[in-house]
Amino acid sequence: MIRRALVAFGLWAFALSVVVPLLWVLMTAFKTGAEIFTAPWGLPHTPQWQNFARAWQEAGIARYFMNSLIVTLATLAILLPIGAMAAYIFARYPFRGAKWLFGAFLGGMMFPLFLTIVPLFFLLARLQMLDTLHGLTLVYVAYSLPFTVFVLTGFFQTLPQEMLEAALIDGCGHARAFWKVMLPLAKPGILVVGVFNAIGLWNEYPLALVIMTSDERRTLPLGIANLLMVEQYQSDWGALFAGLVIVMLPVLCVYWLFRDRIHETMIAGALKG
Amino acid sequence: MIPRARTAFIAGFLLPATVLYTVFVVIPVVQAFAFSLYRWRGISANRTFVGLENFHHLFADPLVWVALRHNLLLFLGTGVAILALSLALAHAVGSENRAARFLRSVYLFPQVISLVVVAILWMFILNPSFGILNAALKAVGLERWAIAWLGEKTTALASIGVAHVWHALGFYIMLFAAALRTIPPDVMEAATLDGAMGLTRLRYVTLPMLWAVLRIALVYMAIGAMNIFSLVFLMTQGGPDRATEVMLTYLYEQAFKHSEFGYATALAVLNFVLVMALSGAILALFRHNPQEGKA
Repeated sequence: MIRRALVAFGLWAFALSVVVPLLWVLMTAFKTGAEIFTAPWGLPHTPQWQNFARAWQEAGIARYFMNSLIVTLATLAILLPIGAMAAYIFARYPFRGAKWLFGAFLGGMMFPLFLTIVPLFFLLARLQMLDTLHGLTLVYVAYSLPFTVFVLTGFFQTLPQEMLEAALIDGCGHARAFWKVMLPLAKPGILVVGVFNAIGLWNEYPLALVIMTSDERRTLPLGIANLLMVEQYQSDWGALFAGLVIVMLPVLCVYWLFRDRIHETMIAGALKG
Repeated sequence: MIPRARTAFIAGFLLPATVLYTVFVVIPVVQAFAFSLYRWRGISANRTFVGLENFHHLFADPLVWVALRHNLLLFLGTGVAILALSLALAHAVGSENRAARFLRSVYLFPQVISLVVVAILWMFILNPSFGILNAALKAVGLERWAIAWLGEKTTALASIGVAHVWHALGFYIMLFAAALRTIPPDVMEAATLDGAMGLTRLRYVTLPMLWAVLRIALVYMAIGAMNIFSLVFLMTQGGPDRATEVMLTYLYEQAFKHSEFGYATALAVLNFVLVMALSGAILALFRHNPQEGKA
């Protein structure tokens, strides 16, 4: 009995330790600067919607938000088709060296990002892609490929072979059969991989930190981190908390919509070994 | 399909992904090992081949050892905390009722928000002037405990460890909960009927059944602790007075503040080798399930 009570207590205690700080950020985003200091636990007297306006306009969050949106969507627009094409081959068209190449793709999930950070920095410098949104996008595509190819290969393997055969008998070429028949069938898999990647890309920090240097091209995580350094002088904490809400809210909403599929994908990805 | 058309089809479909992956991932990986053998300062192309000199300097650099020690402390500290908490909670949260599903979803919140947000959030929780932790401590009369958690050498690293556990715990609870669901219910029932409860059941039933997942989880924990960067970089920048310096923050400093690119890349290679060695050691150490064949 005591054990059960203890476990139940632990379950809700951890849940509270997750929810309370997030609600605290939300609440603080509506407070005046004075209220933040004098009553950390207190409710805002009148909700300060201006905090959000100041964060969005004066602190530059609007621009960071757009940059993040552009990079995330552009990455998905390249990543999903080319990842699906490669995965489709690995799943359906055995060829000599396929195992080896597939292994090379999966290897990308194993090594730490920082192993490549200096060579990558100079590669981008040589390609004139440092501090550009398209440079960051291409890097994001490349570093998202291992996970994407891994999950989609598993997904294509589960699709019925008969659909492909029917399409081929109807006179479709192999490429056409992929685009017209197999890819639409794979939509659920593509959707969850897309959402999964979108969350990671929206949140990504270290690569953006190294690749992006000028303020007007910062992504949201970079921008908010930079705001912290600047706000330390201006101490407009209300706007900074509002900024945190703006970063978190879209991800948490997307996560909540797709949570069951995200859990499955996460577990499958983790247990690949 | 005629063989040549088939080859063209396969090659065409693999080409875009393979080219991007080769250019931005494979080549930089190979270059990393090559760069670590050069003395290379500044952005200029002036590189001198120096063999293993960078590595000699690494081993003689006290800060490398300080950083490595912090990584290992974080691995041990957060590893024990994560294991204890996730194993204690995974069982209860693995069932399919609504409360369990809800809790599992909430547990992953810290995992889906950006590490930048996690870092800033914890900086504010721990903030000495308006953080909720110290406000709560003062409210219950523990003023003495209300300190600048990230500003004190004795508490800064532990504070970062707490933030790391908060961020990672949900993932491990999910992982163990999923693994526990694969254990046939009659095994659990039989164990319970035999009177195996609590720690006994954990030791003789749950852990052996979880063994494979446990090994992988330990490897993830090691990788997570050895490659910690964003939390430290944002919360303390390795300070105060290097008290939270870790390998990757030191690497970043060497490369992008001092332009010691060869040295930084050698550090990256060392970090990679250590992660591999640690993972290999964990897998070897936990190869044999202690309860296997005993039953």
